[in-house]
Amino acid sequence: MQTTGKFFRRLPSMIRFWVIAGSLLLFFGCAADEVCEEATANNLRLGFYLLGQDDSTWTVIDSLRVFIPGEPKTFLYENLSEVSVLELPLNINADNSAFVIDFFHVKDTLWFNYNRETHFVSVECGFTMFFEITDMTYTTNHIQHISENITYVTNSLDEHYKVYITPAIGID
Amino acid sequence: MSIIKYILLLPLALISLQVQGSSDTLFRPALRIGLDVGGFARRFVEPEVMMSEVSADVEWRRGFFAAAEFGLLHIDVEKETHRYQARGNFFRLGSDFNILERNPQSKHDVLLLSVRYGFGWMEHEAPFIIISDPFWGDYESLVESEKYRAHWLEAGFGLRTELWNNIFVGWSLRGHLLISRTREAEMEPHFISGFGRTNGSTSLLLHYQIMYRIPLR
Repeated sequence: MQTTGKFFRRLPSMIRFWVIAGSLLLFFGCAADEVCEEATANNLRLGFYLLGQDDSTWTVIDSLRVFIPGEPKTFLYENLSEVSVLELPLNINADNSAFVIDFFHVKDTLWFNYNRETHFVSVECGFTMFFEITDMTYTTNHIQHISENITYVTNSLDEHYKVYITPAIGID
Repeated sequence: MSIIKYILLLPLALISLQVQGSSDTLFRPALRIGLDVGGFARRFVEPEVMMSEVSADVEWRRGFFAAAEFGLLHIDVEKETHRYQARGNFFRLGSDFNILERNPQSKHDVLLLSVRYGFGWMEHEAPFIIISDPFWGDYESLVESEKYRAHWLEAGFGLRTELWNNIFVGWSLRGHLLISRTREAEMEPHFISGFGRTNGSTSLLLHYQIMYRIPLR
């Protein structure tokens, strides 16, 4: 208690110093350092897993490509290699998107329906689009099953769907 | 809600401490009026955001201050991708409590604990919005002018010292907790008048004040 009392008695002489020093520290500490690119990136994320095996770790796809149905030459990704998480940009001008994942020699198509929400990120960065997936369907040529994880697509780094494939496609 | 309960109980606890220790018969109540220059300094970091405020407090019992603050917010930013405008006002009511033992050489220097209730109202709009996507192209939209209100509680601490002849400078850092806001707004503001930048339902604001003290009797 005596030490505490001594501290409080000495405090007035320190006040003037801390009023100046503290204000400078706080001012620079509160400086905004927003990165707009990260704040406005809002892709749908699919994680790949081997069916029937531990789904706490991803599997790795040798290579794949992604295009839009009906536009097989307009590639979203032309040759992605060593893929464990695939990021897909949902169409910001429509309430649905579809993607063909070409595992080379075999393809699967995924359809997403969603609600769009214009989200105000910040004065500096402006606006971005958030999505709430309402419905999702897919073919099962090589994809065996897809489980829903999070249906709200924002600028966080969430994995939205778990995609289970046959062991023949994945390599550990 | 238990945090709010403790914030509300804090003034009572501190008043009781002050009553126990109030043996100074030379105490003179004083009014202090001030200008928060933190808003001007913040323009170096966010030049588009202007939040200015004035404050007044009365030390009606030694170390116990009743405080009121009033201010306004003005934002006008135009970029290639968006334009955003906001105009708003706010007030805060609350108390400051000095926890520093007074020194005869600097008897007005204080180390303050602060609690506040705040209310802010504003009107904001985004006359044009362009969201660009490298694959899907641009999406164009707008949000028409809408009203937005928020209530919050604040708690924090700060320092204040007499610079010269009843002129004081000081800073305080306060955390804010939203207790209610306009529901289902078409656009959630990034910056609420008086509350600051929203991060969920909390925010942190630095106040840097210059004040003038007027003894009352």
